[in-house]
Amino acid sequence: MEKTDSRRPTGLLLVAVPVLLMAWLIIWPIFSAIGRTIWRPDANGETGFTLSSYVFFFSDQYSINNLMITLWTTGVCALFLLLICLPIAIYLRFSTGKIPAYVQALAIFPMFVPSIILAYAFIRVLGPNGMVDILLNSVGLPKIRTPYLTPWGPVIGMVWDNIPLTVLILLSGLGSVSNQSIEAARDVGAKRLQVLWYIILPRISNSVLVAISFAVLGIFSSFTLPYLLGPASPEMMGPFMNRTFREVNDPINAITQAVITFCFCIAFGLFYVRSVARNQGK
Amino acid sequence: MKRRAFMLSVAGLAAGISMLPQVSLAAEGTIDWYTSSDSNILDFWTNTVKPAFEAAHPEYKLNLVDAGDGAGIIAIGERAVAAKATNTDPQADFFESADPLLPAGAIEAGIFVNIKEAGLSNYDKVNPAGIQSDYSLPYRGSQVLLAYDTTKLDPANAPKTWDELVTWIKANPGQFVYNRPDKGGSGGNFVRRAIHQANGLDPSKFTVDNYDETFGNEALGNAWAILSDIAPSLYDNGAYSSGNTQSIQLLAQGVVTMTPVWSDQILQAIDQGVLPETTGLVQLQDLALVGGFTRSVVLETGTNRDAALKLADFMLSEEIQSAILTELGGFPGVSWDHISPELREKFADIIPQQIPTFPGGAWEAAINDGWYRNVAPNVDRTQ
Repeated sequence: MEKTDSRRPTGLLLVAVPVLLMAWLIIWPIFSAIGRTIWRPDANGETGFTLSSYVFFFSDQYSINNLMITLWTTGVCALFLLLICLPIAIYLRFSTGKIPAYVQALAIFPMFVPSIILAYAFIRVLGPNGMVDILLNSVGLPKIRTPYLTPWGPVIGMVWDNIPLTVLILLSGLGSVSNQSIEAARDVGAKRLQVLWYIILPRISNSVLVAISFAVLGIFSSFTLPYLLGPASPEMMGPFMNRTFREVNDPINAITQAVITFCFCIAFGLFYVRSVARNQGK
Repeated sequence: MKRRAFMLSVAGLAAGISMLPQVSLAAEGTIDWYTSSDSNILDFWTNTVKPAFEAAHPEYKLNLVDAGDGAGIIAIGERAVAAKATNTDPQADFFESADPLLPAGAIEAGIFVNIKEAGLSNYDKVNPAGIQSDYSLPYRGSQVLLAYDTTKLDPANAPKTWDELVTWIKANPGQFVYNRPDKGGSGGNFVRRAIHQANGLDPSKFTVDNYDETFGNEALGNAWAILSDIAPSLYDNGAYSSGNTQSIQLLAQGVVTMTPVWSDQILQAIDQGVLPETTGLVQLQDLALVGGFTRSVVLETGTNRDAALKLADFMLSEEIQSAILTELGGFPGVSWDHISPELREKFADIIPQQIPTFPGGAWEAAINDGWYRNVAPNVDRTQ
């Protein structure tokens, strides 16, 4: 009893710094941004409540196209991440020996490559007249249409970039699937797919949710890869916001775009919070 | 236990403090210099200007900082305005390239030195064509050209006018690329050349102050039509690279045959072997692609104001102005009479007869937004 009492202020002190930093650097700017978009001077210079910048965003086809391509990219990336990372994670969990160690090292490797380097490597390898083109050409195959500067460019880059985190989270979730439960299922005649569907997936659904919400949060607001690899138009929200703020000199619309992006991200964030809370309730 | 708790909280506090923004003061005698130019300019300053200046003025040091882009410089200018209001040190002395009109009101706030009246010994050598404001110093120029691969296009057939260029682009689909106009001057000035084309080849029609929505929509609208017209014949049915360097990269990889480039960047790229010797350069003869002078600005409130002015004066010296020609591939900010006759002879080809310019201000935002809305999305690239 005495021990817990003496620990309490220390714990609070330890979390105080990050919490205050978060309040100062993140929470306050969010409220200030929302305030600046809905409470601003009108044509006569009188400050008042207005939603005009939001009305503009949602009535402007160009802005909507940008929002749509962002949602599309995020959705496609999430799907590919799941399709690629789940088999890798399951393989790593259930096999032993040296090869899985190499596979794991390879899967974690993208974590240590900065995205700007990834972008230029991508242009060299998959880009026009890049390595893939040269290899195809040398065996007499036709040129491919490169994904560079199309919406698929950022998708490939961001999927590769997000593989390590997704694999690690899924792997930790798979840790809670015991070998006995799988053996038991096999004993009663379950086939591989049935084991996956009835035994493994229900146990790791939380990890899948966490992994996907982490990846989605990063991809939705990404900047470097969509900017360097993607098309000029439609733009993803990251480059769009940056351009509106810096190049078009239009802070109000840039903040509006940021608030809208934030609203989407908070919806994905709630998934994460909900699955964490559900986990703790167990 | 108590000692451990104490240690933990101290460590936490220290970690927190180390994450707070650092407070530091500008050092006396170290000129804080910022640029928004490409890396070839930063290299030029690092390898040529800095050693020469520090040798000529051993009491000063140059701290070269890349501010990223124009918006980065404006942000530092805004910091200087704020610092002036509280009478503190702006931690900046020299902007390599800046528009003294930005941030708005900076001149009125007394942030920038009036270069004309600052008593620079070399000021009267400056090329009068480059002077736009008493508060900035045009120390170098460069112009946008068209670079092309002579192994694919015979120099004799290289387009010399806008109409020939458009004909060539349409006859060679996929062989021309320009970058997004807000991401680098080569594509940006190609777009501005299209605006000149759409408005009677008269650069004087556009001034810093004459933007209004009706005139803007009309003048730019015609240019968007010209650019949308050639879009399907561009690289990958209308893909636009994301910067000056990316365009050069596409040319170097042999993906495209022709692209607009900055004169200084391309001469350096050829010199360093990034591009082969077979790279040809051509300028349009009906009206040249837009170019201009790069203007430096000195901060009035900087700790090293006087040292920065000495640097500004040094930039106009014959030594540096010659280096701009020979090492940077730009053209000098001083009048050609102040360049040695041998160099004048040698670089006769790149001495521009006319340098069309395009004003910034409201035009810039209108072009940056209008191009994205009207030209970039016109092609359905999924087909």
